[in-house]
Amino acid sequence: MSGWNRSSRSRLGGRSNPPLERTSTTTTVRLGRVQPQAPSNRTIYCNDREANLPVKFVGNSIATTKYNFLTFLPKGLFEQFRRVANLYFLGISILSTTPISPVNPVTNVVPLSFVLFLSLVKEAWEDWKRFQNDMTINNNSVDVLQDQRWETIPWKRLQVGDIVRIKQNAFFPADLLFLATTNADGVCYIETANLDGETNLKIRKALEKTWDYLTPEKASEFKGELQCEQPNNSLYTFTGNLIIDKQTLPLSPNHLLLRGCSLRNTEYIVGAVVFTGHETKVMMNSMNVPSKRSTLERKLDKLIIGLFITLFCMCLIGAICSGVFINYKYYYLGLRGSKGENISYSSFNPDNRFLVIILNMFTLITLYSTIIPISLYISIEMIKFIQSTQYINNDLRMYHMESNTPALARTSNLNEELGQVEYIFSDKTGTLTRNLMEFFKCSIGGEVYGTGVTEIERGIAQRSGIKLNEEYTSDTVHDKGFNFDDAKLMRGAWRNEPNPDICKEFFRCLAICHTVLPEGDESPEKITYQAASPDESALVIAAKNFGFFFYRRSPTTICVRESHVEKVGDVQDVSYEILNVLEFNSTRKRQSVVCRYPDGRLVLYCKGADNVIYERLADGQDDLKKVSREHLELFGSSGLRTLCLAYRDLSPDVYESWNEKFIQAKSSLRDREKKLDEVAELIEIDLILIGCTAIEDKLQEGVPACIETLARAGIKIWMLTGDKMETAINIGYACNLINNAMKQFIISSETDVIREAENRGDQVEIARVIKDEVKKDLKRCLEEAQHCLRTVSGPKLALVIDGKCLMYALEPTLRVMLLNLSLNCHSVVCCRVSPLQKAQVTSMVRKGARRITLSIGDGANDVSMIQAAHVGVGISGQEGMQAVMASDFAIAQFRFLTDLLLVHGRWSYIRLCKVITYFFYKNLTFTLTQFWFTFYTGYSGQRFYDDWYQSLYNVIFTALPVVIVGLFDKDVSAALSKKYPELYREGIRNVFFRWRVVATWAFFSVYQSLIFFYVVTSSAVRSVDSSGKMFGHMDVSTMAFTCVVVTVNLRLLMTCNSITRWHYISVGGSILAWFIFIFIYCFADHRKSVYYVIFVLMSTFYFYMTLLLVPILALFGDFVYQVLQRWFFPYDYQIIQELHRDEPEGRRREDLLEIGNNLTPAEARSYAVAQLPREISKHTGFAFDSPGYESFFAKQAGVYAPQKAWDVARRASMRRTAKKK
Amino acid sequence: MEVDGGRILKVSSGAQSIPRHSRKHKAFYQFTQQSLPACKPVLTPAWVITTFLLMGVIFIPIGLITLHASENVVEIVDRYDTECVPEAFRSNKVAYIKDNSIPKNCSRYLKVYKHMKAPINIYYQLDNYFQNHRRYVKSKNDRQLLHGLGYNDTGSCKPEESNNGLPIVPCGLIAWSLFNDTYTLIRGRSELKVNRKNIAWKSDRDHKFGKSVYPFNFQNGTLMGGGKLHPRIPLSDQEDLIVWMRTAALPSFRKLYGRIEEDLNADDVVVVNVTNNYNTYSFGGKKKLILSTTGWLGGKNNFLGLACTSVGSSSIFISIVFLLLHMKNPRIL
Repeated sequence: MSGWNRSSRSRLGGRSNPPLERTSTTTTVRLGRVQPQAPSNRTIYCNDREANLPVKFVGNSIATTKYNFLTFLPKGLFEQFRRVANLYFLGISILSTTPISPVNPVTNVVPLSFVLFLSLVKEAWEDWKRFQNDMTINNNSVDVLQDQRWETIPWKRLQVGDIVRIKQNAFFPADLLFLATTNADGVCYIETANLDGETNLKIRKALEKTWDYLTPEKASEFKGELQCEQPNNSLYTFTGNLIIDKQTLPLSPNHLLLRGCSLRNTEYIVGAVVFTGHETKVMMNSMNVPSKRSTLERKLDKLIIGLFITLFCMCLIGAICSGVFINYKYYYLGLRGSKGENISYSSFNPDNRFLVIILNMFTLITLYSTIIPISLYISIEMIKFIQSTQYINNDLRMYHMESNTPALARTSNLNEELGQVEYIFSDKTGTLTRNLMEFFKCSIGGEVYGTGVTEIERGIAQRSGIKLNEEYTSDTVHDKGFNFDDAKLMRGAWRNEPNPDICKEFFRCLAICHTVLPEGDESPEKITYQAASPDESALVIAAKNFGFFFYRRSPTTICVRESHVEKVGDVQDVSYEILNVLEFNSTRKRQSVVCRYPDGRLVLYCKGADNVIYERLADGQDDLKKVSREHLELFGSSGLRTLCLAYRDLSPDVYESWNEKFIQAKSSLRDREKKLDEVAELIEIDLILIGCTAIEDKLQEGVPACIETLARAGIKIWMLTGDKMETAINIGYACNLINNAMKQFIISSETDVIREAENRGDQVEIARVIKDEVKKDLKRCLEEAQHCLRTVSGPKLALVIDGKCLMYALEPTLRVMLLNLSLNCHSVVCCRVSPLQKAQVTSMVRKGARRITLSIGDGANDVSMIQAAHVGVGISGQEGMQAVMASDFAIAQFRFLTDLLLVHGRWSYIRLCKVITYFFYKNLTFTLTQFWFTFYTGYSGQRFYDDWYQSLYNVIFTALPVVIVGLFDKDVSAALSKKYPELYREGIRNVFFRWRVVATWAFFSVYQSLIFFYVVTSSAVRSVDSSGKMFGHMDVSTMAFTCVVVTVNLRLLMTCNSITRWHYISVGGSILAWFIFIFIYCFADHRKSVYYVIFVLMSTFYFYMTLLLVPILALFGDFVYQVLQRWFFPYDYQIIQELHRDEPEGRRREDLLEIGNNLTPAEARSYAVAQLPREISKHTGFAFDSPGYESFFAKQAGVYAPQKAWDVARRASMRRTAKKK
Repeated sequence: MEVDGGRILKVSSGAQSIPRHSRKHKAFYQFTQQSLPACKPVLTPAWVITTFLLMGVIFIPIGLITLHASENVVEIVDRYDTECVPEAFRSNKVAYIKDNSIPKNCSRYLKVYKHMKAPINIYYQLDNYFQNHRRYVKSKNDRQLLHGLGYNDTGSCKPEESNNGLPIVPCGLIAWSLFNDTYTLIRGRSELKVNRKNIAWKSDRDHKFGKSVYPFNFQNGTLMGGGKLHPRIPLSDQEDLIVWMRTAALPSFRKLYGRIEEDLNADDVVVVNVTNNYNTYSFGGKKKLILSTTGWLGGKNNFLGLACTSVGSSSIFISIVFLLLHMKNPRIL
């Protein structure tokens, strides 16, 4: 939460000390070189390394490694000894070197060192990979100005104040002050995909003063003094002054080029380095890499602590009893007359019973040390490592063919965490959607065109069991941004449609009414469109494909190459004069262009959201309006983004009189925007509806189905996006996150009250108003939500909240309310959120709800969110790799989450639960037999088993089978796991590793240990062979140990749901290993008391009898329990197992039974679509905005418009700056 | 890793189109795709009932046979520790046993209640005697037992490692506390020959106790623990010691004393002359004399037979319960 504090501090700081005021103070005070630097800002002397030297700015190299060469051993060991078990074994190892120990020290030290060694090797390897990655980044090259020449140096050697040149498509190596560019107007375009995931270009403009410093000769003359704020993590704020020639120029975020962005459409730019390395904004934004431990592992620690307490109690009982027991009367113990002996005597000295108790305590601790399973951690690590490297990385179901990307588990710590995820936080752009807008359908004059089936329709179809035929007809035109399939409109066929004139207007509207810039060759194949939003370019591309090819734009004209207008095959170039552009903005939600045809016809083309267009339509189009409304709703419910198109013929008189008002408004100095809006209202009336377009914000393949499946699995999905609210809601609909059956709570900052407050401009006031509003909203929503929950079959709930409100809702006073509300919602959409807010929301749920969270994203803006969640998933195979580098798992497509969670996660969770509980059981059982024995040895701490039995028990005799189970156990097949997502809920509820489960295992291990000890000992005290010889201690203990090994291994087989031959091999092998060991051991060392024991044992009939009886007697209880549990309280998976018991795995029946039909593909598809159960939605899916859009065209046209930041969470402060200018 | 994935993917897509593929690759494919062939035992009612039934069918006969074998063993137990102390000393048995001037002889009369077939084993049983105490168990030196004086490091034998500066062979508390009651058995007029050879495990005699190791400086201290050893007989032939030194697992244990190689008939009276030397009185231990025949399973031991029979019969019972449950109320999925 430190990030939160930091950001709020900077916000508060900004409020109390607005940048303009600071500007004025700095101009008057003049910070000279001698003056000490104030802590609140930094002074940089551009192009002057010596002058910057005294301040010691950080270098530009970054390091994300956890260790370095020197700290590796201490830090790595410290990490290892953070595990209680390792620390404990260190203690035991030390204890066992003392004479009070009944066991040999080597037997404890060796396994511990082995475990530590393996763990350290693993850590070193992982850190080495991180180091290599850092090195590649640090060694990227950049051109820096040295001696009037551009020198290429690696990134890491860059220093603050350097002048650098960045070429097209290169990444900025540090945060730069933008000085000059090859573009005219001092403008450059940058892509911020790595920062916020948006691929549309942003404009940055240099200060006019610095435009000339482009060539090395000129640039080396540049001697500016830069005063700016200290490095901070706020991506969208920057205040500072550039002092050139004793002139102070204020700087804004607009002059800053951030590390992580890349340069586009500009040959090269020149900039001065402001922040470097870890002080860059993007690095400050990324939180420290936390070393994640899975929740299960943390629960495991609790179990271990439970074992410690058990151990302590056992030792205490034993020690006290030993103090009571010891007495001189046992003369054969030789207690008398040997005073002054060493510590081993003190532990039996009846004269000092207190000391006896203390010493015996330690003795017993070393004796019972096996209760803590030493090989547990290493086994788990091994299992997880193989699970991630072999299973997750190689799974064909998670392999993306097109991008040739398999899934990648970047850490093996969190496999089982995937099986317990309850909240998923997803980014939108690039994660749920492909960030690819495609013209998909349209409605022209009341006719629907376009036969495509959207992802969401496909999802509905799948759910209702209708099979859609997915073959495309061969003549479908495929262009980037155009996925339209209807022969009725293509290649001039529209001329045969009922309303060819309306069609013509439709296409012209698409081709003319936009703010797109064409680029490159003026041919339909080679041209590229530069648009502020992908929607826009999709529309222009659509026009091109319909035969209205927009190929050139000048400030006053638009040239369109029109085909098939008069007759089919006819092509002509037409240039339309653009008279006025009425810009798009979020309040208008529409955009208009007034143009003059070559023949003098004056037309206003308008496109925009359905509700704003409908308000302005001329009377008398009721039928068309009604039909189009239906179409809009149809599109909306299919998850498409809609726009309405309309036009109006203008008479010259009307236009002239209006244009005067427009020019007046345009040249007004105060409230220009507002006045322009008002003027626009005057002409955008009496429109005639042409139709509407439907653009598919192309979802990633399978996203709705995936979300549906995940929702059924009990996972709640939150979408956190930087997009506008409308867009976000739209995508929410498209991917099944929100539907009409849900009750939606919308908390938006775009309300009248807040807007009014913002217009007044007082920051304190705005904050107060918003906070009050948010509080009011939250309270209202919470009440409603609770009301809904109280009713039995209340609707599902959805919450939509925007970034600005979220900022206030996350404050400590409101956070509880927000949490209560959002946890009751089935889906939550947060729009307009900054990267840090994403992380805040994630950690709010993580910490507040104490549930397992997963974040998935693809861009650098998701990094902090990915790191804040329990599990971070990055989308790989795209351009930016930041998210992947920060993630724990990388997958190529969102839909692979189903496999990752429902199959791998679930299995991993179940397997590890089994492994852990089994380890617990086997060590407890073993140690308890030892414990019972203590009662019969005068509590002296005599070991029941031989040293080597005890130390190898964990390492060899019971080690491998449990690993095999951890790798191969499968309750139900992968296909069934996905078919019944409800099975996943068992993981969320953690049913396989709760105290009840542990208690059951504990109960049976007490039972079994009693069987082992008493059955074996009580039957072995009589003579055991026909010659009447008796067993000694070692014979009995070897017998007992054999029974333990056999039983414990067989018990593992009983827990298995699927038994492969590896199970047989490992279980058989472990038992065999024991016999081989004991044969060799009994023979090898005749000094040991176990010498020949096994031969003595095996020569008796008793041995075989016991070997048959004891394991079965011991497992009898478990078996009965398992039967009863399955019979009366079955787990979900057990029911599924029985349902599908007879099915062979791999091939499901559905795959085999495929009924062919006789319809043509197109017929089948449209039939299937028509069959879809469809509820007409009130949601029409308007979404057409992207940040930066509003001023884009204006910039190009030379019209002044205040540049708005692409971050809206900070819009308030930006607007204020702009106004004061 | 990615390279790896790519390779496997190629392999696997090949495996689908071309069914003939190298077995190793196929096995690896099955491994990584987690589709190894496996048997999936599901505890269905039929399985459960059959399993229990089968267990019953197997265990009941085994149990009965074992019980029968055990029943055929004849065992006579006689506790003599209290009876063998003269009335005058009953209140202070420790003083009695420590006083060497008092004769320790005592006679016990055992009535054979059933025909006993030779060989009949004679055991002594000690109760409440912690031969498995940690201090006691480690107080011996296996090397010395095998190599005798040649091996000097007798630190583990404390506190009975040396006497008067000379090492003790065999050293340690175990040997020092050697059991030294003796029994002579008389039937009618004739003494029953007690064979005291071959009472220890052969492996112990051959490999743990040296053939040329003779007792040295043994029981020469001020404090006598138990029996003495004949200094001329090597340790490997001192079978009393060997038996004693195979320490028992529990504080109540029997050790083989010898063997009578004649049958004893029913209603025979055997007089046992006990020399009651061994001190169990100070810690309240009991001493018993046991005459027992052996069966193929060893001595009298009903426990295994009973356990088998009860496992078997409860299995049958459970299977019937489940069968009824299943018939009455089949499991619905």
